[in-house]
Amino acid sequence: MSTESNIIELINVSYEVTWIAWGVQYFFLIALSYGAFLLTMPYFVFGKVQFEKMARLALLVAITCGIAAPIALISDLHQPARFYNFYLYFTPGSWMSWGAFFLPIYVALLMVYAWLIYRPAMLQQAKDQTSLVARLSTWLAFGGVYAPGAIKKIGLLTLVAATLVALYTGAEVAIVAARPLWHTPIMPLLFVVTGVSGAAGLSLILNSLLAGNNLMVNQQLSNVLVNSFGLTLLLLFIWYINGVTGFTSSGMVLQRLVTEYSPTSFTLLWLVFFTITPLLLAVFKSQSTAWVVGLLTVAGAWLFRWSMFIDGQRIPKTGAGFYNYSLPLGSEGLLGILSTLGLWVFLLLLITHFLPWQGEKQNSAV
Amino acid sequence: MGDEQHRWAMVVDLRKCIGCQACTVACTMENVVPPGKFRTIVSSYEIQLEGETRNMVLPRLCNHCENPPCIPVCPVQATYQRNDGIVLVDNERCVGCSYCVQACPYDARFINPKTNTADKCTFCVHRVEAGLLPACVETCVGGARIFGDLKNPQSEVTKLISKHSTRGLRPEMKTRPQVYYIGLDDRISGKVEGTASLWNLQAAMGKENKS
Repeated sequence: MSTESNIIELINVSYEVTWIAWGVQYFFLIALSYGAFLLTMPYFVFGKVQFEKMARLALLVAITCGIAAPIALISDLHQPARFYNFYLYFTPGSWMSWGAFFLPIYVALLMVYAWLIYRPAMLQQAKDQTSLVARLSTWLAFGGVYAPGAIKKIGLLTLVAATLVALYTGAEVAIVAARPLWHTPIMPLLFVVTGVSGAAGLSLILNSLLAGNNLMVNQQLSNVLVNSFGLTLLLLFIWYINGVTGFTSSGMVLQRLVTEYSPTSFTLLWLVFFTITPLLLAVFKSQSTAWVVGLLTVAGAWLFRWSMFIDGQRIPKTGAGFYNYSLPLGSEGLLGILSTLGLWVFLLLLITHFLPWQGEKQNSAV
Repeated sequence: MGDEQHRWAMVVDLRKCIGCQACTVACTMENVVPPGKFRTIVSSYEIQLEGETRNMVLPRLCNHCENPPCIPVCPVQATYQRNDGIVLVDNERCVGCSYCVQACPYDARFINPKTNTADKCTFCVHRVEAGLLPACVETCVGGARIFGDLKNPQSEVTKLISKHSTRGLRPEMKTRPQVYYIGLDDRISGKVEGTASLWNLQAAMGKENKS
């Protein structure tokens, strides 16, 4: 299209990417968090005992990503210290303004949910110990009663909050008419399904790292992946066909992103290596490759967001061509990505070290 | 803020624009716009018309839309429209989330690296309030930029708009832009399809945007 054009742009401005790497990290982490929260529900909310181990791993993903996500979000602001303005000037017409309320409500409910779940085991782990952690654990366990009713109620409330978070993160992007790539109702749906994929992928990795590669968990998570990948490919197909047939401008831009703007970039790479490959592996449910599937899936969930946000902002609104972008090495780029990863690892170590995330020990010393 | 008696607007007579960028320079000096950022710029194109190669220019600036998409998205109401139509940013409230930058279909907004907040053309509101013309209008060599009050039937902008067939950029966005162009060619009124300027390459090589 553009190569056939008889216009040469002599003077114009190359506009910078303003939703930077931190933003990608936020959308990635929060989707993994609410996706993982959904995976905790079969056991903790609906009492399906066969899903206990999967639910406990997913809960780790939900809380670690859920704590790290808002930090990445605040860092995406160019004036992070002014975040309190979100609470001084509530704006009902802005999805982002709603998000400033949905997000902390979701994270707070998630913390209460996790606390209710960990409470009995926290009391148990404190027994026969006199360390500061044990005392703190006893105090925080607050009696240590296992309250399935309360867990269910809080779990359902968290589900509402998680839905609102998924809704606002999707809608705030999808309403931007000035960026036709984003301006489609398919975008929020893709955020959700790739979020669930990523959550299942990270749970697979944790299953391998922390839970001795439990076979049943691998199977259950593979089933989740087969479904979420199937939905992802279906949504992508619908989106792309809309472009090929000229039905929506969003689809047309997607088609140009893949075929013209950035054919060799993440867009295709993502589809082949990080969506179709893990899908095939998940179908075969090989136990030894489960963590590889997990890793590819997590990378896929991240790359999808990178492609949509960063490449999406490289498509000029008024100018010609496709803007160049090179990842800055500092906190606006690589360092930002690494520091959120580091924060997540730190949170994982902290939680797995101090909290009895595996639940009460069945044969505790008598 | 702003007087409801007025509705400030601009007419850009492309027949008179010579693409000299005097407006770009005047704006930058007047508003202390950081290097590499622009509140206004004259996009220039080389374009083939009926076998003839010609230059085309398009001064771009904030359109101070009647239905500005940048305002409803702002989560802290830092960007707002005055009663006289001028769209402004309160850069002491702005959190720098860039949502308005994404929402503007005209690329009129950017994040100012000095203030870390959203920045854009203000129609030189500080000059207008003092009874002066915006810097770009004042300096325009060919008299291509005409500024005035649409609510005044005697103003030059009102007369020009009634006399000529004027058009705004990207009408499909339904933003009702209040910068009216005389002689605007379809091929440059929306997203321009063509060979991109070398500016892109220089920016990637780190030769621009460094102050």
